[in-house]
Amino acid sequence: MTRTISFTLNGEQVAAEIKPHHNLVEVLQREFNLMGARESCGQGMCGCCTVLVNGAAVSGCLYLAAFVDGAEVRTVESLADARTQALSPVQEAFIEAGAFQCGYCTPGFLLMATQLLEAYPDPDEEQIRHYLSGNLCRCAAYPEIIAAVKLAARRRKANSVG
Amino acid sequence: MTPFELVEPASLGEAIALLDPEDAGVRPIAGGTALMLMMKAGVFRPTRLVSLRKLARLNARIAATSDGALTIGAMTPLALVERSPEVARIVPVIPRAMRRLSNIRVRNVATIGGNLAHGDPHMDLPPLLIALNAEVKVVGANGAQAAERMIAVEALFTGYFETVLAKNELIAELRIPPQGRSRAAYLKVTTGSAEDWPALGVAVALESEGSAVKSARVVVSAATEKATRLKGVERLLAGATVDEKMFARAGDAAAEEAECMTDVRGSAAYKRELTRVYVGRALRQALNSDGATR
Repeated sequence: MTRTISFTLNGEQVAAEIKPHHNLVEVLQREFNLMGARESCGQGMCGCCTVLVNGAAVSGCLYLAAFVDGAEVRTVESLADARTQALSPVQEAFIEAGAFQCGYCTPGFLLMATQLLEAYPDPDEEQIRHYLSGNLCRCAAYPEIIAAVKLAARRRKANSVG
Repeated sequence: MTPFELVEPASLGEAIALLDPEDAGVRPIAGGTALMLMMKAGVFRPTRLVSLRKLARLNARIAATSDGALTIGAMTPLALVERSPEVARIVPVIPRAMRRLSNIRVRNVATIGGNLAHGDPHMDLPPLLIALNAEVKVVGANGAQAAERMIAVEALFTGYFETVLAKNELIAELRIPPQGRSRAAYLKVTTGSAEDWPALGVAVALESEGSAVKSARVVVSAATEKATRLKGVERLLAGATVDEKMFARAGDAAAEEAECMTDVRGSAAYKRELTRVYVGRALRQALNSDGATR
């Protein structure tokens, strides 16, 4: 029951041989060696497996890989500039604010924070808390994560004005 | 997860033919967020999943008529419903309830049809849609003939994870009737962490005239085996004067009428007390909202 799916992965056209019961995280790890999206709670609650499918954040552990056939998929690995490897403003802000300890949840927070700033370029604390409420950080770096999002928002604003 | 066959029919006829009215191992899959949980836990081991993603008849769409009725395609992700200006204008209680419905990623994938067809009594939208008097258009087969019927969301659920849908029937669309001057509220109580399934959901929709309630619909879920209207409470409310005494009486009557069940989220006795308090709160919130359905 193997099937071939074709999709765009971080801007590149790719194909993979998968089985219908494989989830998206398994395929990204096994077929493409992309380890940023990782399974933690396995129930869509913690956000460690966040992947963008056609521009929308999904829990990769609850998403059948077969369903990305023909889709545009982005992972945390696409946030840094492909040519220069320069980190994105959100990534830089997470480092500066010390918004992690063990780092296991960080890829999910980075993608969700990036989405958040697309939707709300100038978010207030309530919007940040609400948007990120589906991501869990077991080291409880929440205050630093919120500070990082605010910092990234200021940077983005300054960059777009400048 | 155990292996299964995945088929992605492009026509409704094909989809219904691929479903099997006698085989519980064959099921339709929409967004899949709820089914994936069941499959990962091993409580559902399908032999075949029939994806509904390529069926134009069910596709994501939201349309409002000039009289304020809403039609929502079954495959519409919850996030699209949440962000729809028409939904916000006609039934703002829906986007408000969505804020605490799972999380953004799940709402991006889970569909309105799947949410109803799953029959899970812990979900937030079924009780609310019952209070709003919504109905679903269901498509299936009658012998070799394609057939469709309308079912009130209220009549959809027959028990714990059980619905009146045949195994080869599909929800095609949801219809929410014009809400007129009715006002609504939905409250839920999570006794574990905030993102846990609720111990209780309460949805109310009511119309008032001056200081009197004209009519009310009161629905409880999660504490009960299925989302259930409390018709005794509704009768008590019809014609009642809006005051704190009325909220208290309605709460007492709801605690009496709701058939609460014990589970990991609380004992039946505790959920009865929650019902007593939250039915009153939901009524107060609905009546305090500013005219439109909240």
